[in-house]
Amino acid sequence: MTEAGPLLYRDTPVGPPPRTYWSLVLGKIMRPWLAKVCVCYIGLVLLISITVPLIATSKPYVIQIRTARGWVTRYPLLADLTTRDYLGFIAGATAAGIVIARRLTRRPDMLRQRRLRFITVSALICSAVLGGTAVALLHHNRFDGTDYQSMVKSGAARDAIFAPIRWGYAEMEPLSQNAINQLPSWQHWLGTDRSGRDVLSRMLWASRVAMGIGFVSQAIALTLGILVGALMGYFGGIFDLLGMRLVEMVEAIPTFFLILTFIAIFGRSILMIMVILGVTGWTGYARFLRAEFLRIRQLDYIVAARAGGLPLWRILFRHMLPNGLTPVLVSASFGLAGAVTIESSLSYLGVGVRPPTPSWGGMLNAAGNPSTVFHWFEALPPGIALFLIVLAFNIVGEALRDAIDPKSLS
Amino acid sequence: MINYIIRRILLMFPTLIGMTFIIFAVIRMAPGLTTAGGTFAPGMLGAHQAQLAEKQFMERRLHLVNREGKPIPLVIQYFDWLGRIANGDLGTSIKFSEPVTKLVLQRLPVTLVINAISLVIIYLVAVPGGMLAAVYHGRFIDRAFGIGSLVLYSLPIIWVGSMAIGFLANPEYLNWFPSAGLHATNTSHMSYFQYVSDYAWHITLPVLCLSYGGFAYLAKQVRGSYLENLFTDFTRTARAKGLPPSAVLLRHVTQNSLLPMITIIGMTVPGLLGGSVIVEKIFSIEGMGRLMYQATYARDLPVIQSMALVSAAITLFSYLLVDIAYHAVDPRVTYD
Repeated sequence: MTEAGPLLYRDTPVGPPPRTYWSLVLGKIMRPWLAKVCVCYIGLVLLISITVPLIATSKPYVIQIRTARGWVTRYPLLADLTTRDYLGFIAGATAAGIVIARRLTRRPDMLRQRRLRFITVSALICSAVLGGTAVALLHHNRFDGTDYQSMVKSGAARDAIFAPIRWGYAEMEPLSQNAINQLPSWQHWLGTDRSGRDVLSRMLWASRVAMGIGFVSQAIALTLGILVGALMGYFGGIFDLLGMRLVEMVEAIPTFFLILTFIAIFGRSILMIMVILGVTGWTGYARFLRAEFLRIRQLDYIVAARAGGLPLWRILFRHMLPNGLTPVLVSASFGLAGAVTIESSLSYLGVGVRPPTPSWGGMLNAAGNPSTVFHWFEALPPGIALFLIVLAFNIVGEALRDAIDPKSLS
Repeated sequence: MINYIIRRILLMFPTLIGMTFIIFAVIRMAPGLTTAGGTFAPGMLGAHQAQLAEKQFMERRLHLVNREGKPIPLVIQYFDWLGRIANGDLGTSIKFSEPVTKLVLQRLPVTLVINAISLVIIYLVAVPGGMLAAVYHGRFIDRAFGIGSLVLYSLPIIWVGSMAIGFLANPEYLNWFPSAGLHATNTSHMSYFQYVSDYAWHITLPVLCLSYGGFAYLAKQVRGSYLENLFTDFTRTARAKGLPPSAVLLRHVTQNSLLPMITIIGMTVPGLLGGSVIVEKIFSIEGMGRLMYQATYARDLPVIQSMALVSAAITLFSYLLVDIAYHAVDPRVTYD
């Protein structure tokens, strides 16, 4: 809406390609190098959280084992992956595909857009089918306790290719006094914790909990906030009055108290924590979207759409939502930072993710519990990881907010 | 003014009652609370506490079932609960075997004092900081303060707290601060001054942990509102008539930038209350946050629902104070 008459561009072949509002905004964020670095860092952590089953595990990719019939080739790592891992790979590959396809088609006209949609959908279907068959065909062995590393050492196996980090998140060194609370060494790059588990492996696995809970909970909160905010803003009147009272009531209970209340009642599985953070975090989004919709509702093109007899959902979600979504998405960046912080705080307090599932908060608690000895080298990595990811989300949020500020938009 | 205050208080009641309704509805969703006696988190309670829960449940069921043996409808249960709250009866804690009202009254002052001190520190740092950033906008001080407060805002309390207690309150490293509680073990022999300094020594780390994260948001708002007022006509007039820049800043600009500072007190209070759960756990302070944590851990539902209610009431009360202060500073604001 910042461009004067995008239709004119279609008719005149000369001049720069039309830039949408979002490409302007993204161009503005990507300019400060700091925000660029932060976006890359968030991408890296996301990548790690998706691919961690391939990076940090004791299972080898390929191994040849001696049996009565001679050497047999096995794939223990593939057999160890769960459906959830495959779903993560599929989602990550699809997202990467969409980003690359968008990069390749810089000028999306109608035909290209359709082609893009076709590529996206077919990529999704293909990867779903491939992943499904892989899950179905592979011999699934979740409780594979074989110690392949000692097999290689003793000569019972050969030609093994191991993952870069040879410990899973719950695998302990054989318990002895030398194995627990080790300082960083060549074998354990970040040392071991009080149960003799590799800290680096647990750090990487914990990124999965943090990012998973952060993104899923904020997706739930966004959906709820958009639904409530859209209804309040579009219909106004009694919807608005009741909706705003509801928002005020939910906001009046301090978020952390509300979350603890929900956790005490509904339990604390990972899925439940995602839902709880989503259900308690939608009010800000609803507020922002309501304000935007109240403004947009009176614009000419909405009046025209209504006069043209378009169905309600089309007016709301096709015409109004894309123009009102920006401030909501800006606050989503801060919401992500908040969700990651709250998840780690819950785990730190011991009412979050259940052990042995690693979480940065839980690792901090294990390292710095006042009643036990303080191991600073165990408290450092999770604290720094938490700080960096929260800082990255906040910086991106600030950059986004500056970028959509109409005063600074050229 | 009095008219306004009365109207504002009356407007607070529908929100408060709606909130009791939400809390009641959420607590009612707890599985098996009134259908089976033993479902108060088996395994987390000791034998005595489980017995107490059982007893409380039986009493409650006697209360909830009328003479014909039919369960009393939820609506009546809800109003019954409201009535008991109005009489100051919040139920009996399962974990502590004490009336919740007594527990809350014991622990509320601790949390309130720590939060109030943190709030004062936040304002003492953020307001001058934001003012300086606005005066030197775009220059080094502005950027350094902006980035510094954002970094502080992003530092997780759990990390700062455990590092502080691990290094600064640990006989192995630096034993500068006490690691737990609010007082030394024996306070009876102390003079008043000694008592206060001992208290200050104990709350230094908790208050620092609570307050450092709050600078960023307030400072940003203060900077924004000062910037807005620095380039107005009245500022130029004041400068033109020969007032020194400091007088213009401290008198003319500050008076007009007060409003956002007042509003933000109301927004900071819920965050501080939430943060005190973590800080009180780390530093073993027997306040409201720690009570909430203990209650969650033991699934002590009577305490949990009272805590949600009390914290919400505190938040609403702080909103009320903020609105009144707003009205006092800027009489143009009406509530129609």
